[in-house]
Amino acid sequence: MAIEPTLSAVMDCGELERAIDAYLDGEFDARERAEADAHLAKCERCRALAETQGRIRTAVRTRLREAMSPPAAAGRAPPALRARIEQALASSHRPLWRRALSPLPIGAVAACAAGALLVLATHGGNDALVEEAVRSHHRGLPLEVMAASVGEGSIPAWFAGKLDFNPAPPRFRADGVHVLGARLSHLRELPAAYIRYALPRGQAGLFIVDDPGGRFGEAGRAVRFGPHLVRLVNARGYNVAVWRENEIVYSLVSDLDETALFELVRTAQATR
Amino acid sequence: MFDLRQTDLTRGEFEELALKHLDPLYAAALRLTKNDRDAEDLVQDTFLRAYRFFDKFERGTNMKAWLFKILTNTFINRYRRSVKERNIVEGSERDAVHERFVSREAAEYAANPEQYFFDRLLSDDVLKAVDSLPIDFRLVVILADLQEFSYKEIAEILDVPVGTVMSRLYRGRRLLQKALASYAVLSGVLQDVGEDGSIDLEAYRKRRGDKSA
Repeated sequence: MAIEPTLSAVMDCGELERAIDAYLDGEFDARERAEADAHLAKCERCRALAETQGRIRTAVRTRLREAMSPPAAAGRAPPALRARIEQALASSHRPLWRRALSPLPIGAVAACAAGALLVLATHGGNDALVEEAVRSHHRGLPLEVMAASVGEGSIPAWFAGKLDFNPAPPRFRADGVHVLGARLSHLRELPAAYIRYALPRGQAGLFIVDDPGGRFGEAGRAVRFGPHLVRLVNARGYNVAVWRENEIVYSLVSDLDETALFELVRTAQATR
Repeated sequence: MFDLRQTDLTRGEFEELALKHLDPLYAAALRLTKNDRDAEDLVQDTFLRAYRFFDKFERGTNMKAWLFKILTNTFINRYRRSVKERNIVEGSERDAVHERFVSREAAEYAANPEQYFFDRLLSDDVLKAVDSLPIDFRLVVILADLQEFSYKEIAEILDVPVGTVMSRLYRGRRLLQKALASYAVLSGVLQDVGEDGSIDLEAYRKRRGDKSA
């Protein structure tokens, strides 16, 4: 609301009329108020305007309060609602992350909730590369580049020239998820880009490898997300989501439960 | 984990800080959705989202404003799409009618001997008048004149500049005064005031019709 000093010396009728709400709402600072008062003191017309507007404002506010505050029905939450909310808060584990993780169209969430998480296939056995990813993530080796110092957007550039493919880290569009940093890694003999993410609780590690020979197996449960098949593998207490885009394979290692992990992966799929 | 492993202590603190604002949030939700059931869902979603993000809430800052911000965001993202079509039609028609009359008449009425006509309106008429405002104006009027948030708080709640708050509030209030005056005429609280003071042709005709019937 600050008024430039050079413009503020005298308030005229037009200015006062335009600012009458701010004046009556108490939004003026001391100097602005003094200028308005000075004008009102010598202008009968504006005084009448301020008085009338003030009266209307008070009357309307009173009526709004009466109509929309307790005990009026339109101003009081039904008692059952309070109970419902308390209950929902107490058992908020499952539905919560879904809402919290969903800057996605509500339709997608609804489809998901309605059972679109269709398991297409389940294969037993191990996936050696996934096991290796879990081991490597679990070791928690120091990162070689920190997002805090170079910026999250510079992480892909940091990998440039260090691998013979260009890793494109997916963007997880979920609140509280951000890149911590990255390092070079490998899964068996395959060179890998490793990116560590901070989650609202805990961390996740993503390995990106070039796998033209199809070295990754089929173990786990396969679920379709849009164009991609995502496999969920449980190994050594971690859940790992694995998906392929052409020859590039992404393995996201986390301690999220299955559903939360799928939700997280889905936020990345939707943006690609 | 994404699901909440907040302790009961955290939940207790959240409930203590947040649930006391249940009534004002519900009242606002009801005016936004115009429907009991949607209002309840909206409020419940608001509290669940707030709880989910409670770790982001800075203790000591304005919990009520924070909850209203979540409420309006949730409404805009989730409910508005379905309500929107209705509102565009209603809103633009009403705009066209109202803009021509903005508020000078209401101001004049208030200066009349019948200046207290607002006080004699029924609560239902007040609610109808609020509901008749296009949604952006309805929101700022509720936030400013019912919840008494400052311009700065409203700007933060709605994520718009203070100047936008001021212009919406200005127009919203004049439209509301206009609508209230219309109801006052309709219910006979206010006499119509002759050619130049005609506040709303529709209301005027309706009243005339009632008289001659």
